[in-house]
Amino acid sequence: MNASAALSKRVLDEYAAVRQSLPAGVVSPERRQEAVQTLAARGLPSTRDENWRYTNLRPLERARFAPAGASPVSESNLPARLEGFARYTFVDGVFAPDLSSPQEQKGLTVHSLRRTAQDTTSATIFHLPRALPALSNLPEARLALLNEAFATDTAAIHVSGTAPQPARVEVLFVAVAGADTGTSYPRVQVSLDPASRLVLVERHIGAGGGANFVNGLVNVDVGRGARLTHYRLQQASVRATWLDTLSAVLAADARYALLAVNTGGLSARSTTHVQMAGPGAELTLSVAALGDRQQVQDNFALVEHIAPRARTEQIFRGIASSRARVAFNGKIVVREAAAGTDSRQSLRGLLAGPEAEIDVRPQLEIYTDDVRCSHGATAGKLDDNMLFYLLSRGLSPEVAQRLLKWAFLEDVVSKIELPELRRQIEHDLAGQMADAASLKELL
Amino acid sequence: MLKIENLHVRVDGKEILKGLTLTVPTGEVHAVMGPNGSGKSTLANVLAGRPGYEITAGSVTFQGRDLLALAPEERAREGVFLGFQYPVEIPGVNNVYLLKAAVNAARKHRGLDEVDAFEFLTLVREKMRLMSMEESMLSRGVNEGFSGGEKKRNEVLQMLVLEPRLAILDETDSGLDIDALKIVANGVNTLRSPERSLVLVTHYQRLLDYIVPDHVHVLVKGRIARSGDKSLALELERRGYDWVTGEAA
Repeated sequence: MNASAALSKRVLDEYAAVRQSLPAGVVSPERRQEAVQTLAARGLPSTRDENWRYTNLRPLERARFAPAGASPVSESNLPARLEGFARYTFVDGVFAPDLSSPQEQKGLTVHSLRRTAQDTTSATIFHLPRALPALSNLPEARLALLNEAFATDTAAIHVSGTAPQPARVEVLFVAVAGADTGTSYPRVQVSLDPASRLVLVERHIGAGGGANFVNGLVNVDVGRGARLTHYRLQQASVRATWLDTLSAVLAADARYALLAVNTGGLSARSTTHVQMAGPGAELTLSVAALGDRQQVQDNFALVEHIAPRARTEQIFRGIASSRARVAFNGKIVVREAAAGTDSRQSLRGLLAGPEAEIDVRPQLEIYTDDVRCSHGATAGKLDDNMLFYLLSRGLSPEVAQRLLKWAFLEDVVSKIELPELRRQIEHDLAGQMADAASLKELL
Repeated sequence: MLKIENLHVRVDGKEILKGLTLTVPTGEVHAVMGPNGSGKSTLANVLAGRPGYEITAGSVTFQGRDLLALAPEERAREGVFLGFQYPVEIPGVNNVYLLKAAVNAARKHRGLDEVDAFEFLTLVREKMRLMSMEESMLSRGVNEGFSGGEKKRNEVLQMLVLEPRLAILDETDSGLDIDALKIVANGVNTLRSPERSLVLVTHYQRLLDYIVPDHVHVLVKGRIARSGDKSLALELERRGYDWVTGEAA
């Protein structure tokens, strides 16, 4: 039996051992069974697969796929709350009410599907995303299928109506368990009714410094004319393996601003799939990734233009220091009916270590004539002229380099519209750049 | 203040400075003129410590210390300032951050506390008015989207805020129209003092109408071919560089 077949068998075995205990209200037994079968048939990804060649998939071999058990987490482990945001905290993929602070907001409902299903008196109607493509049809959904099979809970967020202010929600995922005891399965489904608005902060952290194994799944459905601003902060613990799949569908004139800042984990991989399903939809996908030491930060983003006149702007800024590897593979597909598509890609990587690696790869597949698609991709070192300019003004080489790295991320960081969140992110970024004290003075 | 003796410098294996000797006493303004390719910018860059220049012989002392032994940032903190011929754009690094970081680096070097934020901004605003710069430029990236003239004014602004002991201005006049030239010259003149020395590197005599030098040196093929007072610049203007290059050949 080869390694891949052995892994598939282990998935099946582990699933068979725990399936009775998996909550049916989160994912039905039928869907779980289908997911695990499909996954076993396809096999888990390997670095021989074109879209996975930069990912470190070795931790899969050591992980236990069954869900992690409950672990205690104290409030002091959590980042400061954001003013005006309802917070929902999940520990190892399960809702933790003690660490959450729900808030009444007009048109907003948030549920833990695990709890709501247990609560037999509840008359809640679930707003399941309507238009999402079946998981098995996504090109890179194998890790999502793993989540589907073992999912322990879901943060189900629904927004309706046209409140004067957008709804504000933070979902916070804390990973505690080590990979040898079980996997953490974060899961979010977001659904915006037509013309509704939501600002969503999705944050992933670790507590206890363990070698967590995290495999998340986020489904996003942005209705006609609705607006979603989605901040994703990956701040997993330094030894964690963090894997994630996000799948989104945009209806006509929907606007989706997705901004991800990835700094955590030892091996991280983020797979993003966005379908521009309605005419005039707009997507801005901005990603900043920092890799230091032996970190691997791999990002794969596929944007599929199906409907006409939709716009995509994709920005990536990645910095690889020390022996890290940072990759962004950004693919844009324009289907036959997507006339008038306007897409822009600006992908830039910065090599900041002699043994570091940067891979940026823009890809375009166009099946219609009437499109405007531009892309730029660069990977390089810090500019010697800029560096000398700063030194000639008396800045130390360390500060000058940090300042230039900082400046490099500005195209993404400047898009963060919430001052409080921006400060938190800036401090996280500064903390990732060794000896940040002198940089923080400049903030 | 500055003493350069028999300086030989190679760039990419080619000798550019070939035994340059020049002394700039404290409180004086010296102009170094010369035709294209004579080594003017090499001299300016070597003094500031830009990498890529190989010093094969000679010495440079600054206030009695071996300047060439100092790293670029140490030279800056000791009070050497280079006004760049081509100031670089650094998007994402805020002008005011850089100014403040530069001032604090020098203050720390001298054992002083960090500058008070309010006093600092007041000072910067005052200098900006002197340079006819809009305050909005402070919050922009360093030189980002600045015109050629704005970049040169920003160089002089930095110099005014940093108050160096020795300022080397590398073709700060190039690309300026007459109004901008006057503003830049006015800014530089406010810095003239008995404690400070200035080296103006320039191709044209025009700048020297506004910043009157104590001494003028003509650099030809990597050496000072001729030195004199301000009338030398006027004579050069009249007779052209051929006059000196012919002599030097």
